[in-house]
Amino acid sequence: MKNSRIIRTLAQKLLPFIFLFGFYLTFHGHLSPGGGFQGGVVIATAIILLTLSYGIKETENRFKEKHLSVLEKLAILAFIFLGLLGIFFGYPFLKNFLPLGQRGCIASAGLMIPLNLVISIKVAAGMTGIFYALVKYRGEI
Amino acid sequence: MKKYYYIVLLIIMTILIIGSISPEYGNPRNMDYINYYLEHGVQDTGAINLVASIYLDYRAYDTLIETVVLFMAVIGVTFILSKGK
Amino acid sequence: MTPINISLLLFMIGLYGVISKNNLIKKIIGLAIINASVVLFFIAIGYRESGLAPIMSRSEAVDSANKIFVNPIPQALMLTAIVVSISLTAVALALVVKIYSKYKTLDVQKLYEE
Repeated sequence: MKNSRIIRTLAQKLLPFIFLFGFYLTFHGHLSPGGGFQGGVVIATAIILLTLSYGIKETENRFKEKHLSVLEKLAILAFIFLGLLGIFFGYPFLKNFLPLGQRGCIASAGLMIPLNLVISIKVAAGMTGIFYALVKYRGEI
Repeated sequence: MKKYYYIVLLIIMTILIIGSISPEYGNPRNMDYINYYLEHGVQDTGAINLVASIYLDYRAYDTLIETVVLFMAVIGVTFILSKGK
Repeated sequence: MTPINISLLLFMIGLYGVISKNNLIKKIIGLAIINASVVLFFIAIGYRESGLAPIMSRSEAVDSANKIFVNPIPQALMLTAIVVSISLTAVALALVVKIYSKYKTLDVQKLYEE
């Protein structure tokens, strides 16, 4: 699996398109089926494709384990911070207080777009972390 | 030998359950809650996707605990497969 | 054979896999099949006759003209169920990796004798 030049070239060329599709599913979460969880899993699939075609050492040079773990924890704290932001302005916790725009546009539905973004980052970092931990295990007891 | 008893029990349960359930198919009972979400969903939240408006606006607290469940799965896997000394 | 009957059949197939297979990985696959059957059951409950997907249209005039929509509540609950299924499979597979690295076998009968 490691010495196939076709798969390596194709995986490297397809990577930005898979990221783009994942962000499309995330940002159109309130207009069509999709949302944070679905987009995050698609983004994690891109990094898994890179791992399967190049090997774990080269992929970890680009997407480091430490950065992904810090990103995941920051995403959960950002979710809680977005909920507390409503309390600073006088609304209940996690209430949709940003202006609801015109129906059908991307810039509508208040607090849903930042929440979708944060959830997608967290799910992508989590799935990649699980995959790295399963691949890097070398039989120590 | 005990395994064969379980399998025979499973086959009998399957035949009985599949033969006996015939729902009045296609009419949910409590239409009041569903009608509230279908009528006021768009004007309360501004999102067209009603499923997203349920799990991100009316019940956003469950989604917060959901992400914590996924975080616990990552902690569990990382701890089990770590190189302890 | 409505989807509710098919979901019960899938549940029984998954339960058969958990009970009577001797390999640990096949037992975990049976667990994942059981989770999928529960998700199918909940979504199949909320179906209405000739109903559309619960996504409204962009303009206001087309909408709410006597359209019948499918129940959107179980679909929002099943997102949580799918995430629970993922985390269960992940932790179970991590435990299986540890078991194999210590005992060098995945057979349940041989593991009972250890």
